[in-house]
Amino acid sequence: MNFVEKRPVVDLDEVVVKYRPVVSFKVKKSIGTQTPDWEDIVDEIITQVIEKVKKGEFRGESSIGTFIYTITSRRIVDYIRQKTKVLKEIPEPAPLPDPCLSTENRERARILAEAIKQLKPKFKEVLNLYYYQELSREEVARRLGISPRRVSERLNYAQKLLRKMIRP
Amino acid sequence: MKKCPFEEQIDSYLLNRLEGEEKEIFEEHYFNCPACFQKIQARDEVIAAIKSRGAWIFKEEPARRKNLVPSFEKVYSVFTPRQWATVAAAAALLLVVIFGVLPQWRKPTPQFFLGDHEVVRGKTLSLISPIIDVRAVPAYFEWTKLGDNIEYRISVYNEKLLWTATTKETRIALPEAVKKLMTAGQKYSWQVRAFSEKGTLVAVSSRVHFQIKPVE
Repeated sequence: MNFVEKRPVVDLDEVVVKYRPVVSFKVKKSIGTQTPDWEDIVDEIITQVIEKVKKGEFRGESSIGTFIYTITSRRIVDYIRQKTKVLKEIPEPAPLPDPCLSTENRERARILAEAIKQLKPKFKEVLNLYYYQELSREEVARRLGISPRRVSERLNYAQKLLRKMIRP
Repeated sequence: MKKCPFEEQIDSYLLNRLEGEEKEIFEEHYFNCPACFQKIQARDEVIAAIKSRGAWIFKEEPARRKNLVPSFEKVYSVFTPRQWATVAAAAALLLVVIFGVLPQWRKPTPQFFLGDHEVVRGKTLSLISPIIDVRAVPAYFEWTKLGDNIEYRISVYNEKLLWTATTKETRIALPEAVKKLMTAGQKYSWQVRAFSEKGTLVAVSSRVHFQIKPVE
């Protein structure tokens, strides 16, 4: 008796659209946006995903998200190892930031910064202590004389207010 | 919408506080959870803005003129919520004592008793019968009604108090024992006092004299 192994059906176009932002985020966080290679690495990862799915290497034993995450993590580790090896032998000059990307990010950061500045002092306080000064939630609570739960509530509410303020 | 349990780790991840396996598990999660990934992106933007422009955002502004009227927040921040709860409980207890307990300690309304020579100005209590000479010992004494929930005290006299009784009716029968004490040819008088539910004297009738005519 022959058992025909069923492969899960994957819509590759949908996968690319859905997962490119996620892969980009992970890659940028791991190697930084100052490295111009990051976009190439994202392209390599997406290409590898498409090839593996076409070859039937995705058998549905895990979710497609986990499959793509595994490929992404391995590629990042390879890149860092490679880079570390190269840098030991030939130190390279500091990379120049991508001007287009910086401008877009700078504009977004400016809009957000102005919105944050307009928030009430109690919300600015928690944003300052928790994100800018990177204190722990408990330390923020102690300094402001409120409970850690109240700190979380104010942080969440501040984010909601900011989303409303910068909504186009 | 149900909150994803991984949401609480977003800040720790973005502030590089997650390490090793914990970090891998979180990263694998947002590859599979579009809702969390969206939140991560939004939060990352805010953190990036704060990191790049924090000095300008959080620069202290010159102190403004103090508001004469304290804001609600200033007043609220005097106590902790627990202390406010204690204050509220104490205030509630005080109100209960003032309006509920203290009135019970008031002395009862004083009761007034009139002597024969005293007159009460107020409602008129009229005697109906007997008010003139009678041929026999009266079987009943009757008077006018003063109101609801009134208690009447009747007193019958010859030279001194012969009999007294209390009723809520406007009529009372003379007991046999008292009838036997009354004889023809003798002069008697009677009076009724009216008392409220609380025992306050509200009216006194005039004292009416009658005589039991002697047997001819």
